[in-house]
Amino acid sequence: MAMQERVYLTPTPVRIWHWLNALGFVTLIASGVQIRFPDYINIFGTYRAAVSLHHTAGIVVAVSFLLWLFYYAVIAKMLIKLYVPTAEDLKQGAVKQALYYFFYFFTGTRENPHHESPTNKFNPMQKGAYVVIMMVLVPLVIITGLILLNMQPLHNLLVAVGGVRVVAGVHFLLACALTAFIPTHFYLATLGHTPFAHFKPMWTGWEEHEDH
Amino acid sequence: MLCSAVVMLLTAWSGTGLWAMETADCLGCHNYADEVGEMNHVDEVKFMATAHAAMGCESCHAVTEEHPFDAETAAVVSSCEDCHVSIHETYSSSVHGDSARCVDCHNPHQAYAPVSLSGRQMNDSCDMCHPMTQMEEVHSRWLPETGIHLDAVPCVTCHSSSDDFAITLYLRHRDRPYTDYELASYAALQEQTGTENIASIIDADASGDISIDELNEFYADNGSHRMRLWAMMTPETVEHNFTTFDNRWDCTYCHAAGPENMQESYVALPQEDGTYRRLPLEKGATLNALFGTPDFYMVGATRSRTLDIIGFLIILGGFAMPIGHGTLRFLTRKNRRKDH
Ligand code: HEC
Ligand code: HEC
Ligand code: HEC
Ligand code: HEC
Ligand code: HEC
Ligand code: HEC
Ligand code: HEM
Repeated sequence: MAMQERVYLTPTPVRIWHWLNALGFVTLIASGVQIRFPDYINIFGTYRAAVSLHHTAGIVVAVSFLLWLFYYAVIAKMLIKLYVPTAEDLKQGAVKQALYYFFYFFTGTRENPHHESPTNKFNPMQKGAYVVIMMVLVPLVIITGLILLNMQPLHNLLVAVGGVRVVAGVHFLLACALTAFIPTHFYLATLGHTPFAHFKPMWTGWEEHEDH
Repeated sequence: MLCSAVVMLLTAWSGTGLWAMETADCLGCHNYADEVGEMNHVDEVKFMATAHAAMGCESCHAVTEEHPFDAETAAVVSSCEDCHVSIHETYSSSVHGDSARCVDCHNPHQAYAPVSLSGRQMNDSCDMCHPMTQMEEVHSRWLPETGIHLDAVPCVTCHSSSDDFAITLYLRHRDRPYTDYELASYAALQEQTGTENIASIIDADASGDISIDELNEFYADNGSHRMRLWAMMTPETVEHNFTTFDNRWDCTYCHAAGPENMQESYVALPQEDGTYRRLPLEKGATLNALFGTPDFYMVGATRSRTLDIIGFLIILGGFAMPIGHGTLRFLTRKNRRKDH
């Protein structure tokens, strides 16, 4: 039997953020679908209920995003280190990682080149994906959402960015991109040494490493 | 029609020579406030634009030949219900029937069809008894974005049972950036275009209707955000059974109509006489994601089909990895079986 080594990988605030965020996103997607396609889809009974739920979930996601940002940037001071790919990551790491995922993973001839540790928990591909999601798409979807939630007080801003149609269109496309992220994200998370190896630390905080 | 009979009767009556004074004579005095007093002023230009003008003052008023020196009050000889029979029936049997008279909401000398008025003008008649600030408060208890709704949906769109609507776009302008847009008046537009033909501001080819290209040009010309179009969902006719209708509680009465419903749209231009003239807008302009009506977006009802397809493809892309990689993963699962 292999020796088990345990690493505390995901601190509590990050776990709280993550699952609040995941629940928030699922709620936003479900209510958003009803808001955009009310003639085909009715999940929450009335349109008004879908709208209020969407507004509430949007605020929850925005607040929890700030929690995440505050924790990583201010308390843990690891935001850049964990999430922003280094030059090395981009030059070699990403290629190595891609090669592993799309070739060696299937042949089973090599191990995952990346090993998680609390200060380096994402492989270069994860970094790339997470940085785009968390520092570009999520902030943008929150900002467009907040504009749509305050159209009257922000009408000058609305005009400056091209009108409600543009903002609503961008919000919709960003939401689609984030929706597309979820199945990919979920699937990639099952690529650990066991299908649930990555889910556990997101729940308990602890990662069990196999000793090699 | 009953009212035409009355008109004929009255015309015959006034033709007897007893009342020689005609509309033009009346207006010779009544068009001037300093002559008859502010209370008795009847604006000629506005009156001549009404359907009532054709009938003349004398179909509703009877004056003596000595008027105004007869020390008598000129009589009103026919009232609204004599001619507008079915509206009167609907109105008097409605819950609102006892709350206001025809003349509380209408000035008979400035009575126009709803399609010749702006949504704002339609609200003016309610404002006297139901002030806007109070209405915002009352409706905000259940209506999200109350301010925008009340700015875009005239009261009678929700409080009358009429269900034939159009999207009507009005020109709004502002002189300085970061101030509020205001409905552009005829005078303001005349000043801006420098001509009598204010339609040229948006109907560049003077065709009498407005294409998406013309809309684009309009926005390009007014790129400094001076002028924009504001949309309202206006009724084509107004049934006079003013009350609260259950289906207007339901947001999807408007927000689920589906893209087909919002196709009938107009740009309404203010006229010199205070009414509005509508120019039809090209079909699909209110659904166009990039061009057309940037300030008009009715969530759930005016979505762009192109964006829907792009969004769907993006989401589909999210399943490429799970499905593609997942299939290969399943087929090669033996390679990863570890026997330690
Ligand atoms: C469709 C019917 C109708 C026509 C046509 C009409 N009036 Fe009147 N007018 C009325 C009614 C009804 C009133 C009373 C309004 C009220 O009680 O508030 C009135 C009131 C007035 C008054 C009193 C001041 C006021 O505005 O309340 C004057 C003056 C007057 N009309 C002049 C004229 C003149 C001049 C013309 C023709 C240019 C004319 N009216 C055409 C129905 C009409
Ligand atoms: C010579 C000017 C003059 C002409 C012409 C004239 N009016 Fe008047 N009218 C007046 C004045 C002045 C008053 C205000 C009288 C007053 O305050 O006692 C008045 C008042 C009225 C009123 C208010 C009720 C009242 O008697 O106080 C009505 C209605 C009216 N006129 C209708 C008409 C109609 C209809 C005609 C045409 C058939 C007409 N007038 C022609 C000068 C005129
Ligand atoms: C002598 C007949 C007569 C009287 C009295 C009369 N009207 Fe009219 N009214 C008409 C006619 C005819 C039209 C033309 C359009 C139509 O047939 O509805 C009209 C049109 C209108 C319109 C505009 C609708 C349109 O389609 O142009 C309004 C609003 C209106 N009347 C209100 C009133 C009010 C309010 C009164 C009472 C103060 C009144 N009318 C009295 C005959 C009359
Ligand atoms: C002359 C005053 C007056 C005017 C003008 C007026 N209303 Fe009213 N309205 C009342 C009164 C009085 C009531 C009954 C008391 C209340 O509910 O506030 C009422 C009640 C209502 C109600 C509630 C009716 C119900 O079902 O209980 C509605 C809706 C309404 N008005 C809509 C309108 C609209 C829309 C307009 C403009 C087209 C308008 N009112 C113009 C006086 C007016
Ligand atoms: C989007 C549709 C809509 C629009 C636009 C709208 N209303 Fe209403 N209004 C309603 C509904 C639905 C109710 C019933 C809500 C309630 O009873 O709380 C209502 C209630 C009312 C009432 C009764 C309020 C009370 O105290 O019970 C009045 C009066 C009224 N509206 C007047 C107006 C006026 C005036 C305007 C225009 C400024 C207007 N409404 C615009 C839908 C609308
Ligand atoms: C509570 C306010 C109110 C009352 C009371 C009222 N109306 Fe109206 N009416 C409106 C509004 C708002 C419109 C739409 C704007 C316009 O055309 O003036 C309208 C429209 C009309 C129209 C044109 C309808 C159409 O569909 O083309 C006529 C005609 C009319 N009213 C006649 C009357 C008559 C006659 C009475 C009295 C029996 C009356 N109104 C009472 C508010 C009212
Ligand atoms: C809805 C279902 C979701 C599930 C099942 C899920 C699952 C997981 C799992 C298992 C991990 C750990 C694997 C890893 O570290 O890569 C993880 C991490 C992460 N997830 Fe999700 N997730 C979901 C939604 C989301 C959403 C909507 C977002 C953002 C928009 C998101 C952003 C992240 C980020 C940034 C991490 C890394 C967190 C860290 O450790 O700092 N997830 N998720």
